[in-house]
Amino acid sequence: MAAVYKSLSKSGNEKPESSSNGVKKNKQRVLILSSRGVTYRHRHLLNDIASLLPHSRKDAKFDSKSRLGELNELAELYNCNNVLFFEARKGKDLYVWLSKVPNGPTVKFHLQNLHTMEELHFTGNCLKGSRPILSFDAAFETQPHLRVIKELFLHTFGVPQGARKSKPFIDHVMGFTIADGKIWIRNYQISEVEQSKVKVDDEDISEQAATGKSKNTDINLVEIGPRFVLTPLVIQEGSFGGPIIYENREFVSPNQIRADIRRAKAARHNARTEQTVGRLSKKSDLGLRSNGNRRAKDELDKSALFA
Amino acid sequence: MVTKSKLKMALAAEKGIDFSKLKQQKKSKEAAKRKASKEQNGEDESDLDQPGETAEDNEMNLDAIYESDTSESSIELEKKLPRKPKTTTQTLASDVADEVEEEEEDDDDEEIPVSDLEDLEEEEKEDIVPHTRLTINNTSALLAALERISIPTDKSAPFASHQSIVSATETSESIPDVSDDLQRELAFYSQCLEAVRLGRSRLISEGVPFSRPKDYFAEMVKEDAHMEKIKAKLVEEASAKKAAAEARKLRDLKKFGKQVQVSKLQERQKAKREVLDKIKTLKRKRQEHSSDVGTKEADIFDVSVDNEIAKHSQRSGSTRQQSGARAPNAKRQKKNEKYGFGGKKRHAKSGDAVSSGDLSRFNVKRMKSKAARPGKSRRKAAALK
Repeated sequence: MAAVYKSLSKSGNEKPESSSNGVKKNKQRVLILSSRGVTYRHRHLLNDIASLLPHSRKDAKFDSKSRLGELNELAELYNCNNVLFFEARKGKDLYVWLSKVPNGPTVKFHLQNLHTMEELHFTGNCLKGSRPILSFDAAFETQPHLRVIKELFLHTFGVPQGARKSKPFIDHVMGFTIADGKIWIRNYQISEVEQSKVKVDDEDISEQAATGKSKNTDINLVEIGPRFVLTPLVIQEGSFGGPIIYENREFVSPNQIRADIRRAKAARHNARTEQTVGRLSKKSDLGLRSNGNRRAKDELDKSALFA
Repeated sequence: MVTKSKLKMALAAEKGIDFSKLKQQKKSKEAAKRKASKEQNGEDESDLDQPGETAEDNEMNLDAIYESDTSESSIELEKKLPRKPKTTTQTLASDVADEVEEEEEDDDDEEIPVSDLEDLEEEEKEDIVPHTRLTINNTSALLAALERISIPTDKSAPFASHQSIVSATETSESIPDVSDDLQRELAFYSQCLEAVRLGRSRLISEGVPFSRPKDYFAEMVKEDAHMEKIKAKLVEEASAKKAAAEARKLRDLKKFGKQVQVSKLQERQKAKREVLDKIKTLKRKRQEHSSDVGTKEADIFDVSVDNEIAKHSQRSGSTRQQSGARAPNAKRQKKNEKYGFGGKKRHAKSGDAVSSGDLSRFNVKRMKSKAARPGKSRRKAAALK
């Protein structure tokens, strides 16, 4: 009963406005984990992302690729309401799942053009756990499935205000751009530099210092990394389950592409061997091969006539 | 509108439950149940749902109480919505088919699901090219999902709560060719820069600290060792570039140097010729004046000729050593070349300490290499013998 009273009195004086006007506080926690069979680059990317997200919880590799529903329980165990799951296939293809935990939706992406922070020698750097500004392309607002994806990005990659390990300053920006049907993700450092060409008087400087020196600084961006490209494949209504509510028909799976390449190579080889066989049979028909069938002797042949 | 006890209301407020939403959910649940009962197979499961739901509600209320005691960082999970359990792939397929039927207005192109093909007659079947992949784009479900999870990002919420900015124009418009790296990255950069400009002004107007003060040190995403590596890489790149430029310069100089050498030789030749000419003319002059009685002493003793020669030797022969052996005259040089020059000829080809110590022409490989392996046919022939 004491607990009930405590909760009542707390709710009475702490957040009456938040419950009354229905504004949910932005509270997110992300469970980051991968399946077994990821390569080192996938793992490094996972580490990079985890280092950028102070509200994340990294867990050990998940054992199963078929029973992804268990991830929901895992997330609830860790008190997370988002899951970022790396699913590696064949030791080379990487699929990324983004999910809102109890009720979904879930988006499955194919990840390509992966470059981790370490292999990109970019000079940018930012505070560990500072909140990023998320920059979305205008195309994200055009279609419903892109809006869902944008919302999921916002929940996962946006560090919520007052997250436990977050730092108070804003020094990097994450860009999400749609080009060629794919989502390109970049991460830049915001560096403020003095504007050199503008001459300012002493009084101007003091005035701007008072207003927060917003005028005499110029903004530069320096890339930090990592870089990757996501192709949305499927959106499910539930979290790691439920009916499929969007499917990307333009997506061709990497297996298909590889098979096509192999087939094209095989076709070339087959055509060549066929040609060789044809040529040999033609030669033997003409009697030009020692072990082929001899040409029938013509009666009017010179050797027959002048024997 | 809602008649509940004060305690229950307070608990609900604590949990942030919206009663109108709950009502809506309940309604949708009932609708789902009705649908399921029609389908026969989902009957028992939906019945099972009901008691489980109430038990869960009780649990959730307890959770709310516990939550009030835990730290701020705890996350309020959404209430779990009931979902129709789906066991076989057949039901999934039928679901898909249903949705496609529902969303006929979305699918503008004439796609025919494979499941429908069975009903058609043989002759009709031949004309249709079946698409195994269906277009699934259930807009209403997508929007419902979005509605459920969305956090406010419009003007009503403070910018600092979400920090997301949607650009004014589509970035893909400024990327004519996606495989053109430079243009593509520039488009991404400008999109982010625009967002930063806007976001910065909004954050500053909201009084949120933006730029990091110089004396604020904290852990960075890339640690010092990593940055050191990057710096080393940059330095290495710069030095490599510099070395390459230097090498190219040297190469050019070498090419140019030969021309310079040739021209210098020609110049020297020319200077020599001039001097000789001058001497000749002087000598002639002297011979002309030799008949005269009142000649100067300098002329008598060929001072001017000596001067000229000295000048010339100073100019051209500065590199040649002046002391010691003088170079022989041209005739002697020619003869030396032709007949060989003095000195003993014997023992010239015999070895001595220096020559036997000279290992410059020694080659380990050559010493070790055996006779070359003959070709296959020759080897075969040898084996037959």
